Amino acid sequence: MKILLTATGTEWDSKMDPRFGRTEFFFIYDEETEKVETYDNRAIANEAHGAGPLTAQKMSEYKVDVLITGNGPGGNAAAVVTQTGTKVFVGAGEMTVKEAYEAYKNGELK
Amino acid sequence: MKEIVIISGKGGTGKTSVTASLAYLANKDVIVADCDVDAADMHLLMKPVNDRKEDFFSGVLPIIDQNKCIKCGKCANVCRWDAIPIIDNKYIVQPIDCEGCGYCARVCPADAISMNEQNVGDWIISDVKTNTKMVHARLGIGAENSGKLVAKVKNEAKVLAEKLNKDFIIVDGSPGIGCPVVSSLSGANLVVLVTEPSVAGIHDVKRVYELVKKFGIKAGCIINKADINTDKVLEIHQFLEAEDIQLIAEIPYDENFTKAMTMGQTIVEFDPDGIGRILMNSWEKIKKIA
Repeated sequence: MKILLTATGTEWDSKMDPRFGRTEFFFIYDEETEKVETYDNRAIANEAHGAGPLTAQKMSEYKVDVLITGNGPGGNAAAVVTQTGTKVFVGAGEMTVKEAYEAYKNGELK
Repeated sequence: MKEIVIISGKGGTGKTSVTASLAYLANKDVIVADCDVDAADMHLLMKPVNDRKEDFFSGVLPIIDQNKCIKCGKCANVCRWDAIPIIDNKYIVQPIDCEGCGYCARVCPADAISMNEQNVGDWIISDVKTNTKMVHARLGIGAENSGKLVAKVKNEAKVLAEKLNKDFIIVDGSPGIGCPVVSSLSGANLVVLVTEPSVAGIHDVKRVYELVKKFGIKAGCIINKADINTDKVLEIHQFLEAEDIQLIAEIPYDENFTKAMTMGQTIVEFDPDGIGRILMNSWEKIKKIA
């Protein structure tokens, strides 16, 4: 499984970014290879409109199986995410990346 | 720290009156964020002073270099908004008409048009009368609110709340269901829907709740002017039950709202024993469910 978490930093101890569209970083963990990849999404702050769909497009390039975030994605972004077949888990907005991943593994996220 | 966003879908339901009252009751425990930037009016009730302002840039505006311009008129021809009239024999971009699409710059054969970031207003941190701080924004004429600006205001509020150790952020959300509302909701812990028993009020609260559901955020509802149409109130109750939204309060129609507003007061200050009491109970409930 390849898992993407929306984060405010690039470490396991970084706090999650509760937002999907305007998330600062992608934290991508590949369970098979145990490798971590990150993407700096901070340029999104310059987009006046449509941050969600843009971030969703970017996410689709990473071909992840699971998305873990705080809440969202909203309308248009959700349409893109659904198309890619990615499973969405929310409610991890106030955790660290590590805690969010563990909560997901323990089936605690919706 | 919890982020509470107040939205309504429809304008005129009393969203800002309720938000300012909650902010007044919560007093120094909260940072206030006004994300209803198109028609901001929290400042009328919160009395901000000691503004710390910063420029806000959003969107782009073409500028035509008159020395390079060969007056071919291609830019004016492709402009869907007719934003490039000829004035004194020169092609001049009208900022209010321009949407910033950049088509003119693309077709210009003389490379005379550059696209420049626009300073559309300020975002501001102020001290307010409730012994705390408020983050808000002021847009220039013809400038519009955006997801970007809302994200900026909310981010600054979050930074302040963390720095000053506040328990809550109270966000006056934007009307409608568009980009600024999406940005208002993103990252929130609780949504308070303020609605009224009218056809438009119910229609719009249902529509905006569709969006809230996509975000999977808990919601509560305040029905304002609840005595003006009992049939419609029942309809709202049915909607709340079907969607499992907690009814926080019903507030009767009261002209004191208007009187308080004209005096620059929240209804809680103006009428502490009447409407004020209902809102006091509301704030206690909201704190519990957030």
